[in-house]
Amino acid sequence: MAKGRELKGRIKSVENTRKITRTMEMVATSKMKRAQDRVVSARPYANALTDVISSLYSPDLAERFPLLRQVSAPKRVALVVLTSNRGLAGGFNANLIKQARVQIAELEKTNVKVEVHVIGKKGIGYFKYVGRELKSSRIDVTDRPTAENASEIVDALMKEFIDGELDGVYVTYSKFNSVLNTPPTTDRVLPVTPPVAKEGGVQRDYLLFPSAEAILTDLLPSYVRNAIYRALVETVAGEQAARRTAMKNATDNAGDILNVLRRTYNRARQAQITQEIAEIVGGAAALQG
Amino acid sequence: MLTVSVISPEAVLFEGTTESVVAPAFDGQVGILTGHAPMVTLLGKGELRLGTAGQRFNVEGGFVQVVDDVVRVVTERASAV
Repeated sequence: MAKGRELKGRIKSVENTRKITRTMEMVATSKMKRAQDRVVSARPYANALTDVISSLYSPDLAERFPLLRQVSAPKRVALVVLTSNRGLAGGFNANLIKQARVQIAELEKTNVKVEVHVIGKKGIGYFKYVGRELKSSRIDVTDRPTAENASEIVDALMKEFIDGELDGVYVTYSKFNSVLNTPPTTDRVLPVTPPVAKEGGVQRDYLLFPSAEAILTDLLPSYVRNAIYRALVETVAGEQAARRTAMKNATDNAGDILNVLRRTYNRARQAQITQEIAEIVGGAAALQG
Repeated sequence: MLTVSVISPEAVLFEGTTESVVAPAFDGQVGILTGHAPMVTLLGKGELRLGTAGQRFNVEGGFVQVVDDVVRVVTERASAV
């Protein structure tokens, strides 16, 4: 029964794979929940910042803040691409890289020099493969990004922007709309697009210390750092969501394959037993004959 | 009573009511009681006190927003003492 043993081996192997993918699915689910909580708990800060900046900002102030400097013909911009350190997350990294590639091509078409900064092993691997030089790369951003991570990434870029070496900063990340909707997105971080006050909101006359200008000078960099921080946490949540979906599919597929294999195995076993009985019956009949 | 929230980039650290807030503003401490005029002030570095015997936080950077007895302390770095 050579075929039977072979099938048995394959069944065992698929069962083992299914065990692994099921475990990964469960791990990703719990990590995703925690990452999701972080996305949610990052919102109040962003809302509070947006609220205050939009109530203090007025267009005539714009020229006084270097972070709001609009450049009509950008020459050199930076693109920060966020990817994950680990694979087995379906098309997650591929989608992010594709989005980044489109963005780079679009910018370079208008004769802009694009400096690429990559976070995450997967992105680094891709750009190394296509032989594109990276301005910076890092793999030490974990599953729990901190506000410090964000400022490490963006502070240097903000300085270059203020000094006029950069004319724009973009970030490509996975936006976390919901568990099943995490589209790769590119946002412009610099120059800052000042948030506008909500329609119908009451504008209050605040006492401002030291002054509207000083407060904005202080809060605009926080706003930029927060944009990056949010991109980081949303990307982690998106990664775990993508991995969970990928691993769920893998587990389901393993189940389907197992069903087919088991059926084939049982059929072969039954056929063999039937044949053995037929042989015995045939032998006995020949003896009696 | 004041409705107070202490917010850092990562999470909301405190949400509740207290009778007073003493915050380390950029130029010295600022005390806030009920009926305070709407105000936005930058924070410096120091200890944030909620109530007389309430919670304390070490904060650095950010701002305090007061409007209609709602106080939002929004800070870049905060840790409970």
